[in-house]
Amino acid sequence: MNNPLTNIVQDWIQSSSNVIDFGCGDGSLLEELREQKQTIGYGIEIDPNGILSCLRKNIPVIEKNIDDGIDEFSECSFDVAIMASSIQCLKEPNVALGKILNLSNKCIVTIPNLGYWRCRLALLLGRMPVTPSLPSSWYGTENIHLCTIKDFEDLCSKENIIIEDSIHLNKERNKSKFAAIAPNLLSSEGVYLLARK
Amino acid sequence: MKSQRELHTFSSGIILETGEALSSFDLMVDTYGELNNDKSNAILVCHAFSGSHHAAGSSDDGKSGWWDELIGPNKAIDTNKFFVVSPNNLGSCFGSTGPISICPETGEVYGKAFPAISVLDWVNSQEMLLSKLGINSWACVLGGSLGGMQALQWAITFPDKIQRAGIIAAAAKASSQNIALNEVSRESIRKDVNFHEGDYLKNDTFPKSGLKAARMLAHITYLSEENMNKRFGRKIQDVESRVDDLVDYEVENYLQYKGEKFSQVFDANTYILMTRAMDDFDPAKKFDNELKDALKKVTAKLLIVGFKSDWLFPPERGKEIQLAAMQSGISSSYLELEGQQGHDSFLFGNERYQKNIEAFLRS
Repeated sequence: MNNPLTNIVQDWIQSSSNVIDFGCGDGSLLEELREQKQTIGYGIEIDPNGILSCLRKNIPVIEKNIDDGIDEFSECSFDVAIMASSIQCLKEPNVALGKILNLSNKCIVTIPNLGYWRCRLALLLGRMPVTPSLPSSWYGTENIHLCTIKDFEDLCSKENIIIEDSIHLNKERNKSKFAAIAPNLLSSEGVYLLARK
Repeated sequence: MKSQRELHTFSSGIILETGEALSSFDLMVDTYGELNNDKSNAILVCHAFSGSHHAAGSSDDGKSGWWDELIGPNKAIDTNKFFVVSPNNLGSCFGSTGPISICPETGEVYGKAFPAISVLDWVNSQEMLLSKLGINSWACVLGGSLGGMQALQWAITFPDKIQRAGIIAAAAKASSQNIALNEVSRESIRKDVNFHEGDYLKNDTFPKSGLKAARMLAHITYLSEENMNKRFGRKIQDVESRVDDLVDYEVENYLQYKGEKFSQVFDANTYILMTRAMDDFDPAKKFDNELKDALKKVTAKLLIVGFKSDWLFPPERGKEIQLAAMQSGISSSYLELEGQQGHDSFLFGNERYQKNIEAFLRS
């Protein structure tokens, strides 16, 4: 499998689910979910190369900058929405999260963890952290709303969002039991299955 | 590229959406490429309102087909792989039965007596062509502008006879502004002293100046402001190449030239008929104006393409179609391409446009 997220999230997705992937990239996650789970999926993407890849994979794709808002999808309904590595790039991630949960029963979100010990160490040494989950330099990053695992979980509870399940990843972005011991310190990234209360 | 031009006669006629009938009709049809053994590689391309069956390749006078940049060997619509079928629409004036044809019942030219034609009528006539060619279903139906409307209507009307629909620079219905612009064009034709309420051919004349003015106005709507500024700016036309003394600016000269050329080859009644078909297109109307309900039975995969500089059918109009399709659970993609040439962008084969169309046809 090409997309590491497929293994991580496939247990959360029921067969034949209707899936929308915000920021779907080259469509590999949707393609693999279609093979594994017979899902029907739509991708939303802004990058022309990603869009072309989706068309080549026969993944329906919509050219759109998610930052312009997702209100147009408000009358659509999905079983699962996926937002991998993009929620921290949005202008109002808390609002976006609410809107996503209005159009889908469940939402899978990944959050790069600024509380990860490597990030903390970098900051302690006076540098902005650069990790596999946060690969860009401070001036090149699209991330404008970074948070820690604790911050994110606080937001969910404040917004009446249930965390149905979560998986914590190590530096290699693999599922890690070690990272799960103290995720806010040991995980580089959290993957969440969310639903409305 | 193997290409063929053939006049197909449908002697069983057709009953039109209005209830009127044509007892017999012809379609002038170009084909490019070859039909494969299992007849699974046929693509129907639908022309926009002033187009013809000549979509690809060059004619004897050196004129390229309207979609020559996209159709041909190794192009986006690859004639090495696909058998491209390009009919001239019913009601047009390039060889298919239309207002300039002879009515078999009266033995006279139809003129204003030619019945109103709708997008659905075109699709029905193209379905008759499909069956005459012995093909079960199109691998894809695609077109730009009014051609995109036909592709959409195809997906709605004959879900089992179309695998894909490419709906380009189109809309699910004309806007008030679209209708208004068309009406100014029609008015200039109707008020030409030579129009004779549409019976100009019987009076051995032709509303040339009205048709020319109509085309000049319409032509502006096909270009973008930026594109016109870039191309013409405020440049003054050099005296030697002025089409007449009234012209000062290059843009005026260009429109005069385009209008003149168009008025020599196009028919005024056809202009009115075609713009009416565009204005009246509204597949959602029968479904309480819910496009998503109109799309419920669609099984074709849809690709909807809009161009950022198009203000006649701006990208949002395409987006509406995609969104309605998504609400009905139909596999549908939406692209918003740069395209500098306004509405006409759909005619030009920039790299991204070509690659995405090619990928869609192969998916």
